[in-house]
Amino acid sequence: MSTAYMMDYEFKMKTQNERVKVEDLFDYEGCKVGRGTYGHVYKGRRKDGSDSKDYALKQIEGTGLSMSACREIALLRELKHPNVINLIRVFLSHNDRKVWLLFDFAEHDLWHIIKFHRAAKANKKPVLVPKGMVKSLLYQILDGIHYLHSNWVLHRDLKPANILVMGEGPERGRVKIADMGFARLFNAPLKPLADLDPVVVTFWYRAPELLLGARHYTKAIDIWAIGCIFAELLTSEPIFHCRQEDIKTSNPYHHDQLDRIFNVMGFPHEKDWEDIKKMPEHPTLLKDFKKNNYVNCSLVKYMDRHKIKPDSKAFHLLQKLLLMDPNKRITSEQAMQDPYFQEEPLPTQDVFAGCPIPYPKREFLTDDDQEEKSDNKRQTQQQQQTQNNQQSQQQNQQNNQNNQQSNQDNHNTAKRVRLSAPQGHPSQVNQQQIPISQQQQEFHHQQMMYNNGQQQQQNFQQRF
Amino acid sequence: MSGNFWQSSHHQQWLLDKQDLIRERQHDLSILAEDEYQKIFIFFASVIQTLGEQLKLRQQVIATATVYFKRFYARNSLKTIDPLLLAPTCIFLASKVEEFGVISNSRLITTCQNVIKNKFSYAYTQEFPYRTNHILECEFYLLENLDCCLIVYQPYRPLLQLVQDLGHEEQLLTLAWRIVNDSLRTDVCLLYPPYQIAIGCLQIACVILQKDHKSWFAELNVDIEKIQEIARYIINLFELWKTYDEKKEIQGLLGKMPKPKAAPQR
Ligand SMILES: Nc1ncnc2c1ncn2[C@@H]1O[C@H](COP(=O)(O)OP(=O)(O)OP(=O)(O)O)[C@@H](O)[C@H]1O
Ligand SMILES: [Mg+2]
Repeated sequence: MSTAYMMDYEFKMKTQNERVKVEDLFDYEGCKVGRGTYGHVYKGRRKDGSDSKDYALKQIEGTGLSMSACREIALLRELKHPNVINLIRVFLSHNDRKVWLLFDFAEHDLWHIIKFHRAAKANKKPVLVPKGMVKSLLYQILDGIHYLHSNWVLHRDLKPANILVMGEGPERGRVKIADMGFARLFNAPLKPLADLDPVVVTFWYRAPELLLGARHYTKAIDIWAIGCIFAELLTSEPIFHCRQEDIKTSNPYHHDQLDRIFNVMGFPHEKDWEDIKKMPEHPTLLKDFKKNNYVNCSLVKYMDRHKIKPDSKAFHLLQKLLLMDPNKRITSEQAMQDPYFQEEPLPTQDVFAGCPIPYPKREFLTDDDQEEKSDNKRQTQQQQQTQNNQQSQQQNQQNNQNNQQSNQDNHNTAKRVRLSAPQGHPSQVNQQQIPISQQQQEFHHQQMMYNNGQQQQQNFQQRF
Repeated sequence: MSGNFWQSSHHQQWLLDKQDLIRERQHDLSILAEDEYQKIFIFFASVIQTLGEQLKLRQQVIATATVYFKRFYARNSLKTIDPLLLAPTCIFLASKVEEFGVISNSRLITTCQNVIKNKFSYAYTQEFPYRTNHILECEFYLLENLDCCLIVYQPYRPLLQLVQDLGHEEQLLTLAWRIVNDSLRTDVCLLYPPYQIAIGCLQIACVILQKDHKSWFAELNVDIEKIQEIARYIINLFELWKTYDEKKEIQGLLGKMPKPKAAPQR
């Protein structure tokens, strides 16, 4: 049988003609703003000018539908929450077999925000932000994660870079949890997770039970990561910062990362975490670590050194998020009820609470980084840089802060330059709020719009 | 994703209307009689089931693949894409979505070749004609036609809950589970929410095993009419099976089936 008969010619032509190409609809050339392990992210504008909003276009790494691309599409297609990034549309480019995802553009993310604060701290120039900003950020992160968790979706890769914050516009200052590429349904594990993708959460945000070989991901693992992010927001330092050398290892056990956690938290007492004995790597732990090395370590002391008082509500909540025993760790739902959020200043929907946003907008990445396309290269570079940092850190403990600063700078190796906006990107000032009616009209222009049913119904009612 | 069925794309976009279904099938039903059309889908459901079993997939993955297959042809004529190509493509996509893992291309093709040769030689005398590039191309068309709705809710989970509530009966569960599998050979997965299908299948299982759970069913607070409709579909399938010899008839039916046409020759 010849290939011609697998698919009807007329059908093929008809769908080909109807198919809208991403490059026909959007201007994004030269506007790369992000590069992750799983894709390139561009800032785009509609070519037909039907709206002047910014969009994020994520081109998934590689060709075709990898499992993580499938999961990202499958999950995002179903999820709908103000604090979870909204997948507007999927483009399949048949010629080069590339997959593109269209999202709302988020001007900021916690990685850049924290980086900005560190730089300011190092230069002794304080940043003016609303008093409740960290609280609002945390509250919305919890809200989004609670939604995911109650839909039996685990994020598994929570870290500052994956927490986006909307810039000027109708959703100003709203948290959007992104990067669900690894998100996984966990109500019916088909395979132990460790077999599927050996390295998942960046080690800094990895819960101790994962480092001790836990076979399954849980909600509690996401909660630990949120605790880490909360601490980092409070202090501008990654709380469990650690050099990352064997990033590629499939062995979950990571001595240095555990050492770092114990250095901050103290070594877990058996009464605090009874089931630690059941962890696969518990024997290794006993062999490698001496309790006595950590007798003077505690979260109270660590946070106190960073000027967070142990009797503050923030500290109390942090302590509940960062409990070593996953069974005792607070849930997102409980955390949202915490007194911290009932105390003034109350959390706000706009995390910037109407104040000017002090953070720079996303810069376009140059094409230099095209050469280092391969992830391995990028990771190795990253590791080397982290190692360098670590060395200098050891050389000069007092300069610790600055080193960590440069370490964070190197997290994304691509060079950053501010470019003038290309045509179709009228300068970025033009960010006024778009009236709702215009937004709704907007929906009509899109073919594969993913709305909730109500919106869909509305569209139909208006259309027919 | 097993949270809220009511907000899912399955509920919002893929519970179809019986009349719509009839309308979409008009072209195919001008060539095939209704029972012939159903027999073709029974056949390909078996192809998907057998492929899935050979690949050691869980029933959930197999069921999802079957629903993709049925959804595609609910919107397209059988002539658009050869179902013999779409069937393994559905398996390939479902296994990624359900996180079974990516089936290696060569393993998928080899399995197709073996299954067609060893289990379905009564339908196909020739070798399985497709290669990896065909599956990959077809996969993009499938995803487009599914409108990227990949999460499918299945009756298995609600069934487990129902049987548990009834006071776990192994025999009843086994039979009802098999009836849910059989229901994939009807249109119910396109028309009714999975928990209703689970109840319908459980009810049939109770009748077959002569278990009287009438009062328990009465307390379920479901649309009895819908359950009866579902049961009707499945009983009709059982009736059809009584007189139908697939081994004898299928080759003729596949021959009669509308097929993709090549580019017009000049
Ligand atoms: N909607 C968006 N708006 C603006 N920028 C975005 C958006 N989505 C992603 N980005 C930027 O692109 C980067 C990479 O995106 P994303 O995290 O989705 O990709 P990834 O390859 O899966 O990442 P990772 O390496 O963290 O797994 C983000 O860190 C962020 O800086
Ligand atoms: Mg990311």
